[in-house]
Amino acid sequence: MLKHLGFFIEIVKGSIITIRHFVVNMFYHILNLFGIKTKRRGAVTRQYPEAPIQLASRHRSLHRLLQRDDGKPRCVVCMLCATVCPSECIYIEAAEESDPEIQKVPSTFIIDLSRCCFCGFCVEACPEDAIRMDTGEVELARYGRGDLVYNLEKLLG
Amino acid sequence: MVKIRIDDRELEVQEGITIFNAASEAGIPIPHFCYHPAFVPEGTCRMCLVEIEGVPKLELACSTVVRDGMIVSTQSDRVRDGRKGVLEFLLAEHPLDCPICDQAGDCKLQDYYEDYGLYESQFSEVKDKHDKKVDLGKHLIHDQERCVLCRRCVRFLCEVTGTEDLGVFERGSHTEVNLYLDNQVDNNYSGNLAQICPVGAITDKDFRFQTRSWFLEEAESICPLCSRGCSIQIGYHPGFSRFSLPKRVYRIRAKTNETVNGYWICDLGRYGYRYLDENRATNLKARDSQSRIQWDAAVTLLSEKIKRLYYMKRTSRITVILNSALTNEELYLAGKIFQKDLTDVNIFFADAAPESGDDVLLTSERTPNRRGALELGFDLKPVDMDILSSQTDLVIIFGTHILETHSLSDLSNAMENIPAKFVLAPHTSDLDPMVDMVLPSTHIAEKAGSLTNIDGLVQSFQSALHPLGESQAEWQVLVDLGKELAINFKFYGQFSNPKNINREMGKEVPFFGK
Repeated sequence: MLKHLGFFIEIVKGSIITIRHFVVNMFYHILNLFGIKTKRRGAVTRQYPEAPIQLASRHRSLHRLLQRDDGKPRCVVCMLCATVCPSECIYIEAAEESDPEIQKVPSTFIIDLSRCCFCGFCVEACPEDAIRMDTGEVELARYGRGDLVYNLEKLLG
Repeated sequence: MVKIRIDDRELEVQEGITIFNAASEAGIPIPHFCYHPAFVPEGTCRMCLVEIEGVPKLELACSTVVRDGMIVSTQSDRVRDGRKGVLEFLLAEHPLDCPICDQAGDCKLQDYYEDYGLYESQFSEVKDKHDKKVDLGKHLIHDQERCVLCRRCVRFLCEVTGTEDLGVFERGSHTEVNLYLDNQVDNNYSGNLAQICPVGAITDKDFRFQTRSWFLEEAESICPLCSRGCSIQIGYHPGFSRFSLPKRVYRIRAKTNETVNGYWICDLGRYGYRYLDENRATNLKARDSQSRIQWDAAVTLLSEKIKRLYYMKRTSRITVILNSALTNEELYLAGKIFQKDLTDVNIFFADAAPESGDDVLLTSERTPNRRGALELGFDLKPVDMDILSSQTDLVIIFGTHILETHSLSDLSNAMENIPAKFVLAPHTSDLDPMVDMVLPSTHIAEKAGSLTNIDGLVQSFQSALHPLGESQAEWQVLVDLGKELAINFKFYGQFSNPKNINREMGKEVPFFGK
């Protein structure tokens, strides 16, 4: 009997928390409705993943390599991204390009996303604006680690 | 001796030397492009400006001789301002393609811009176009846009090799370093041009786009490819944690050593580094066992086979093929074990065949320690195939040079009748399937010790790289073998590194005790 009373008390406690959240959030929503600005905003439940989320424009998502007008990668293999990368997840090999104005192009460009911490340093370090993290793709779960190793082809899109 | 003052430091220097040399002896750095200690000062780059009290204009440190009572300032505002102006003119026509330049990271233009530049460019004009990829010869690529016209390369080819392939052409901003007519820079010392170029104008084809120089770590060693014993700096990549690299060693550069090689090394030593990573034996292999073997088991097995012959008084049926790429310490230990402990063992030497040398650095002997082997009392007999084929019950082969002097079929015929065969070599080779056990050993770059060069100079060195895989230095194997044989356990028990061995060797052989 006493045991059952204990359960009942916990149910009441839980309900109080739920009701408190409801009332507090409702309060802020109502204030907002009348155009009163508050520091705190009422919580909203989003229907992710059924409804997609709008990402901020500066959100750091999956990397991509930019292309020149003729479709070649803009990357010149200066390896600053590989140097600055704190998780050492970028590996690049260079090849010779016949155009003397370009000279150096990547033959291998690998980003191991299973190690990447999405700090965005590679984007900041790039002197050629060749790598960006603006694809908006954040759902990067895969069944195998190998699927998270992105090569030049995948990164160029 | 004259007394001068550089930056509040009273110095007493030799009469007749330049301010630059006086400062560098005192450890005061003066920025420079064209000055190189091997050449006569030229004063083309004008970067080494210093202020001398009583002299109205800034003077060049590299070509001004010291006078008694001279007061020099290397860091005053006027000097810094002057250097900034010089740098601005040097960079006015520089393409700033550091992202694709192999010199980035080692480049003096980058360093001095950090120290003295840091200005906003005042040049709005379009930069002059020059050829960005001139093929200078077998090993070199020249980018005329990056050149600061210091003329180090031109002077090197005049003063050191005497081939005079490069010259300075045109005038003004069109000035460029180029080849005379259809010459090519293809002497055996051309690689030094890429090293002495203070900017990225002359770069190595071999190192081109391989990696960036800031990834590399430098370690000192001695070049083992001829008997000159040049000091080298091995640039190796410590590797990334996740990705495996195609090689460890990316470049070899000359290390200044006035007594042996000066500032240069030959192209053979500079570009012949592939032996460090290619075809390396990394694991112990036994022919009749599939399971992995350990070093102590392998040494025990070897010593048991030797001991059996030793107790039967049949050591004359042991043949040991040494080579003179082993260090003094290793040869000393080999002599101890195979000449003193086990008497009348047949000792032969199999070495890289001599080739033509030149009178600069490269010698015709292509093995680093022949002189050391002679000083240790070896007679360097070449391999006698009769003894190998009919009078041998156990053979230990050091290195794989025997394949260069004897054909594979001769060797396999001779080896067929030998009951116990061992190879201790850094490389995999055609010998491996013939023998009972392959023991991976190391290169000079991976071990410590000392080498005796052709002039009898004993140079000690430390290991630059880690031994690859399971490989072990020969001195370690020989110490273990000596201990395991237990004929003179106490002697080998005292050795834990090549330094102890060297000390003991110095006591015994007066040549090494100096």
